[in-house]
Amino acid sequence: MKKFLNLLAKEIRELITLQLFISLLFTVFLFYFIGQMAKSEMKRAMRTQKIAVLDLDASTLSQQLTDSLNMARFHVEKLQGKSKEEAVEWTKASDINLLLVIPPGFGESLSALELKEMETYSFLRSFSLVGSRSSVILGSVISALNNYISDDFLKKKIPDFSPEKLKKPVRSKDFVIVKARMAEGSASSIAGFVSAQSVFLPIILMMIIIYSSQMVISAIAMEKQNKTLETLLTVPISRTSIVTTKMLASAVVGLVSAVIYMFGFRYYMGGFMGDVRQAVDSAGLGRVIQELGLAPTANSYLILGISLFLAILCALAMATILGVLAEDYRSAQSLIMPLIFLVMIPYFLSFFSDIKNLSLPVKLFVYAIPFSHPFLTTQNLLLENYTAVFGGLLYMLVFFIALILIAARIFSTDRVLTMKLKFRRKKLLL
Amino acid sequence: MDSVLEVEGLRKNYGSLEALKGINFQVKPGEIFALIGPNGAGKTTALRIVATLLSATGGKVTFLGFDLKKEPEKFREKISYLPEEAGAYRNLKGIDYLKFMARFYADSDEKTREFVDRAKSIARLGNRINEKAGTYSKGMVRKLLLGRALMTRPDLAILDEPTSGLDVINALEVREIIKKFAAEGISVLLSSHNMLEIEFLSDRVALIDKGVILDSGTSKELKEKYQAGNLEEVFRSALR
Repeated sequence: MKKFLNLLAKEIRELITLQLFISLLFTVFLFYFIGQMAKSEMKRAMRTQKIAVLDLDASTLSQQLTDSLNMARFHVEKLQGKSKEEAVEWTKASDINLLLVIPPGFGESLSALELKEMETYSFLRSFSLVGSRSSVILGSVISALNNYISDDFLKKKIPDFSPEKLKKPVRSKDFVIVKARMAEGSASSIAGFVSAQSVFLPIILMMIIIYSSQMVISAIAMEKQNKTLETLLTVPISRTSIVTTKMLASAVVGLVSAVIYMFGFRYYMGGFMGDVRQAVDSAGLGRVIQELGLAPTANSYLILGISLFLAILCALAMATILGVLAEDYRSAQSLIMPLIFLVMIPYFLSFFSDIKNLSLPVKLFVYAIPFSHPFLTTQNLLLENYTAVFGGLLYMLVFFIALILIAARIFSTDRVLTMKLKFRRKKLLL
Repeated sequence: MDSVLEVEGLRKNYGSLEALKGINFQVKPGEIFALIGPNGAGKTTALRIVATLLSATGGKVTFLGFDLKKEPEKFREKISYLPEEAGAYRNLKGIDYLKFMARFYADSDEKTREFVDRAKSIARLGNRINEKAGTYSKGMVRKLLLGRALMTRPDLAILDEPTSGLDVINALEVREIIKKFAAEGISVLLSSHNMLEIEFLSDRVALIDKGVILDSGTSKELKEKYQAGNLEEVFRSALR
C-alpha cells in the first residue's frame, strides 16, 4: 500500500502543473466574463425600450394604444408633424430600433370592426436575440390590444355574454401522466423543465471524460517521451498498480478540474438562463413536478453519481490502452480523438433525439457505447425504468473490468513497450 | 555460490526477426560482466529480458535461484536497471525523484534517507539536486540515474551503455563509480559498444553479434586467444 500511495502521489504531482492552473483559471475567468457580459446584456434588454410612434390618426383608440405601450415598459417617443418617410429617416438616425405608424382612420375603422393595418419598422442593428426583442414585445402589445377591442365590442353588442366564452368556446384541461402518477399541467412545459434541469449533465460528463482521458493518455505518453517508463516498469511494484495509479490520479485531477470548470460554467449559464428556479415557481411547475414524482431524490442523485463515475472509469481504462499506443506527447493528442467521438455521439443524440426511438442497429450501437448510459440514466430514473438504469450500470461495470484487465495485461507484457513499434510500422506502411 | 545470474539458451523473437538466438552467460558475485557488440547485436534485448521488461521467447534466466519467468517480482526487488536512454521526471526535483524511487525499496523512512544520501553522493550534483530534473544537462541526468540505480546496493545492477552521451570527464567519473561499487560486492551486467570502456571496466566480456555470443572470457584471455592488442581487434577477429 505504501508503494501504491508513493506512486499515486507522484502521478498527481506530475499532473498538477502550472500550465494546468493557468488554463483552469483562464477558463473560469473567461466563463465568468462571458456570463457577466450576457447578464448585463439581458438586464439591458429588460430595461425600458424606446419606441418611436407616428400617430397619424390621433383618435381615442390610438391614444389607448400609446398608453398600452407605456404600460408594457416602452418609452414612447411621439413624432409630431412628420410624414411616414420622414419618420423612418428620423428613427434610422436615432438610437431607437422600432417605429410604429398608426394610419389615419385607425380608430374609426376599428370601432366599425373593419380590418386596419398598422405599420411597424424594425431597425436591425445587430442580429442578437436581444436586438429583436422589442418587436416581440410589440407583437404581444398588439395582441393584447386586439383582445381589448374585440372584448369591448362584444360586451357592447351582447352584454349578457362573456366575450371570453364567445371567443374560446372550446377549451382543454391538460393532464400529464407519468407511470402511475397523474397531475394537471402541460406536457411540453414539464418536458422543457426536465430537459433544462438535466442540460448540465452531458456537459459535465463530456468535460470530465475528455479532461481525465487526455491526462491519462498524456501521462503514459510523457513517460515514454521522457524515457521514464522503462525504469518504472522495473521497480518492485505490480503492473496493475502502475495502471491503477495513473487512472486514479487522472480521475482525481480530472474531477477537481471539472468542478472548477463547472464553477465557471455556472456563471456562464447563469448569465444566459437567469434564475431557473424563480421561473419554475412563477409558472407553478414545481407542484406538478412534485406530484408526478419528477423531482430528483437523494437516491437518484446517488445512482446518477455512480453512473457518471463508471463512465469516467471506462473512459480512463480506454485512455490507458490508447496511451500505450502513443509514441510521445504529440501523438497522444491525436489518439484522444476516437474517445472524444465516442462521447460526442451520445452527447449530441441526447440533445437532438430520443435514443429509444432510433432504429435497432443504431440503438444497439449507441447502447454499446458505455458513455451513452449516464445520458439515459436521468430520464430512466425519472420514468422509473430501473431495469434500464441498473442494466446500464452493470454493462459499464463489466466493460470497465474487461478494459482494466486488458490494460493490466498489456502493461504486464512486452506490448507496453512494443505496441508503439507496431503502430509506427503501420504508420510507415501508410 | 558460483554465479548470481545464469542465462541459458535465451531466445527472443520480434515477429519474424530473431533478436537473440539462444545465448548463454553467467555473472558471478561482485563481477562486472559486459556484453559488447555493434548496434542491433542484441545487447539491449538481453539486458531488458534480465531486467524483467521483456519476456523471453525461449530459454531460462535464474537469479539467486529465482526463475525470472515464474517470479519476476523477486527479480525486481533485487536488481536495478539503468536503460540506455533513460530520463527523470522533468517536473520533479532531483532530490524528490530519488526519494520517490527509494520508497519502492525502503521499508522505513530511515532506510529511504540512507538510500537518498547514497544516491546524492554518487550523483554529486551539489545544490542542483534541489532543482527540477527538467533543468539538468544530459550528463547530470545520467549521474542522477546512476545514483538511483546504485543507491539500494542491488544484488545485480544492469547498466545499458552507462556512459552514453556523456563527455569525457563525466564518463570517467561514472566508470570510477561503477568500479567502486563492484569492488564492494555488487554484481554488474553492462552493455556497451565502446570497447575501450569495457576493457577498463569489466572482469569478463561476451562478444555478441546478430543475436549470437561469438566468444567470452576476460579481456586478457580474449586478447591472447585472438592475438590482438585490444578488444576492438578481438571483436574484428571474432567476426571473421
